[in-house]
Amino acid sequence: MDVKLVNPFIDAFTAIMPQIGFQDVKRNKMIVKERSIESLGVTVLVGFTKNIKGNVAYNMSESTAKFIASTMMMGMPVENFDDMAQSAISELSNMITANAATNLATLGYDADISTPSLSIGKAFVVKISGESYLSVEMDAGGHLIEIAIAVH
Amino acid sequence: MKKFSVLVVDDSRVSRAMMAGILANTNFEICEYAKNSMEAVEKYSALRPDIVTMDMNLPDANGIECSRRIFSINPSARIIMISAMKDASLIMQGRDVGICSFLQKPVNANELIEVMKVVCQKNNSSAIALQDSYVKPFVKVLQKNLFSLVGLHSKVHTEIDESEFLEVDGIAVIIGLTGHPLGRAILHMDADTMRKFARGIIGLQPDEELADEDISDSVEEAANIIVGRGVSMINDVLKDKEMRITPPGTICGHQIRIANAKLLSFNITAKTNWGDFKLNIGFAEGE
Repeated sequence: MDVKLVNPFIDAFTAIMPQIGFQDVKRNKMIVKERSIESLGVTVLVGFTKNIKGNVAYNMSESTAKFIASTMMMGMPVENFDDMAQSAISELSNMITANAATNLATLGYDADISTPSLSIGKAFVVKISGESYLSVEMDAGGHLIEIAIAVH
Repeated sequence: MKKFSVLVVDDSRVSRAMMAGILANTNFEICEYAKNSMEAVEKYSALRPDIVTMDMNLPDANGIECSRRIFSINPSARIIMISAMKDASLIMQGRDVGICSFLQKPVNANELIEVMKVVCQKNNSSAIALQDSYVKPFVKVLQKNLFSLVGLHSKVHTEIDESEFLEVDGIAVIIGLTGHPLGRAILHMDADTMRKFARGIIGLQPDEELADEDISDSVEEAANIIVGRGVSMINDVLKDKEMRITPPGTICGHQIRIANAKLLSFNITAKTNWGDFKLNIGFAEGE
């Protein structure tokens, strides 16, 4: 997979997170992986298709998801990862992927994105590609989010 | 259980008798028949049935005109159009007057009862319209492809999914739907069904080992075929809607919950000897 296709997603994340209240955003490691993604507890999958096809998964722990949801809702306490908090995380995934699609278009790749599918569980794996995919660990104010991107 | 009253509008005695045969011993009771448009309007206003089945060709007016008159009496009337012809222009004309469900003659008994159930389940015109145009093709392809892929016969039923979560214990293949409407399709099943299906599709003998990666690949491929064909059927009928599918994403594990928030979704379950194959089709609201 072409590494340059990852930048639109990293740029999207870096552009969107400050808008929802995370000023300190940085990229940690980026690695090529081959096996399935081990969910950290909350994984949102968004597919895209048109002249570039693939999937992106946003993977985080439930406590990170709750913290982000709370920040998005102006600091409203989020005790349980309830439907409002889930909806906030789905919406964030949608915003980042839509922004990434705009960035991909500037590279000449048009992509329509699907609705996000948010999965929650203690032990599950997510496969987004039969071959390798790129995994980027992003840090938003000390909270880690793995972005896994597979382009077919 | 509550019985629903049905007014059958059809000028053919044979069609009326067939309808009576289909609806015998169900929760749907034919309260009256009408053989032309004038009778239909009179009987509708006198009886206010829960559902009207409407033939397209009536001696004094067509079914669309007759439906328009019924909607002027009750704008939330539930009318199911049944005609020999079912083409896009007829569906468009029908939609314009407010008809949400369309079936083709000869009516398949299960299909009619399922459409009637959904029509009564929720007086939600967008759910009915989605079910009719976008869910029914998936019902057909699920049943057909379980048979063509692994020779499985199935009994299929559809319901509106009103749960907050889709509970998965086994495997779920998620395929995004882009274009109009926007949504997603999820084929899921328990671990035992998944193994039987994978063995069947690969054609393994009882003594042959099943590799782990073959299991998810098999279900993924089947989901791709089923959802892809469903979308092709939709695109063939509704030529102005170009729906596309995203590559599959596959989730495996125990006690996984996939959130259903903000989606209007339907559960299609195919019951087979190997277990239940479940296809959940969800559409973003407002589409």
